[in-house]
Amino acid sequence: MSRYEVNVLLFRLKKDAGFRGRFREDARGALVDAELTDEERDAFVRWDARRLNELGGSLHLLISIPGLGGH
Amino acid sequence: MGRLVYAAAMSHVLYPDYYGKNVGPHGRKMVEELIAVVREMGRELLATRPDALVVIADDHLNVFSFDAIPAMCVRIGRSVERMVQADAIEFDQALDGLPQRYPLHEDLANRILEEGMEADFDFAASWSAPLDHAFLSPVSTLCGDTPSPPLVPFWVNCFVAPQPAARRCYAAGRHIARVISEGPWRVAAIATGGLSHFPELSLARVGTSAPSFDRHLVGLMEGGDHDTLCALTAKELDLTGSHEFLNWMVLMGMTGPERARVRFFGEMGRIDLAAVEWGTA
Repeated sequence: MSRYEVNVLLFRLKKDAGFRGRFREDARGALVDAELTDEERDAFVRWDARRLNELGGSLHLLISIPGLGGH
Repeated sequence: MGRLVYAAAMSHVLYPDYYGKNVGPHGRKMVEELIAVVREMGRELLATRPDALVVIADDHLNVFSFDAIPAMCVRIGRSVERMVQADAIEFDQALDGLPQRYPLHEDLANRILEEGMEADFDFAASWSAPLDHAFLSPVSTLCGDTPSPPLVPFWVNCFVAPQPAARRCYAAGRHIARVISEGPWRVAAIATGGLSHFPELSLARVGTSAPSFDRHLVGLMEGGDHDTLCALTAKELDLTGSHEFLNWMVLMGMTGPERARVRFFGEMGRIDLAAVEWGTA
C-alpha cells in the first residue's frame, strides 16, 4: 500500500486544476506515471472515494477536490 | 509583564450554507446560533485590547502536503494570506470574501519558536503557509468588521497519524503561556475545531458524531480536570472523531488549571458544536 502516492495524487487533484482536468478526461492516462498498486489505480480510475479512503487516502482531501469531492 | 487576557475555543466551520446543505435546516439553525454566540465572544475579546491573537488550529491538507507534515508549526513573518482554492467546495468557500492578507505579530511568534527550541520543543516554522477556514472562519466571526489583532497562527497536526499526544499539546501550551508571561504584550488566544465529527477519518462514518464523549470532555473542562484530559489517547480521539481537540489541549495548557465556562453546546448529529471560554485573571 503506497499511502504516500495516493495522497500526493489526491493533493495534486485538489490543487492543480490542469491535472484535475486531464484526470477527468482520461483518468488512466493521467495516472500513467504514478507509482500505484493495481488496486489503488483501479480505485482512482473508477473514482471510488470510499475505497481510496480505505487504502489510506486522506478523508479531508477526498471530500474537498473540486468536482470530485463532496459528502 | 505580559499576560493572557482572553482564552476561548470554538468549532470552526462557522458557515450556515455548509450545514444547511449537509444536515438541513436543523444544522443551519444550530450553527447560526453558535455564530451569534461567537460574535458576542468576539466583542468581549476585542474589549481586552490585545496586542496579539494566538490562533491554535489545524491544517486540512490544504497547506502541508504529504511531503512534510509538522507536528506543530509556528507561522512567522510579517503577514499571512488566506488560502485561495479555485472552485472550492463548501468548507473552503467559507473563506470567500474575507480579506486576502492579515498582519502577524512577528516578535511574539519568533519568541514562541526560538524559546520553544531552547525548551526542547521541536517546532516547525513556516514563512509562507496560508490560513484555511480553521483559522479564518473563527477570526472573521470574532472580529467582524474590525481588523483582527496581529495574529500568531500555530498549527497542530490533528489529521495525519501519528499526531502529537494530548499531553504534549498541553505542554506546548504551557510553553506559550510562559513566553507570554515573560513578554511585554497583552495576548488573546483561541483554539478551534471540533467537537466530534468524522470518526476514524472514515468516509463511511461521515455524518456521525460521539455526543456522549463530547459531553464527557465538556464535563472535564468545566471541572478543570486537566490531568484526565492530558491522558486522552490517540486511539480514543480517533475513534470518536475528536482529532481537533488537540488544538483545545494547547489552549488549556495556556490557561492552566482553570475551569471552563461553556457558552454554547449543541448536538447536531453530524458534529457537536461548542464554544467554551476560560478565565484569565
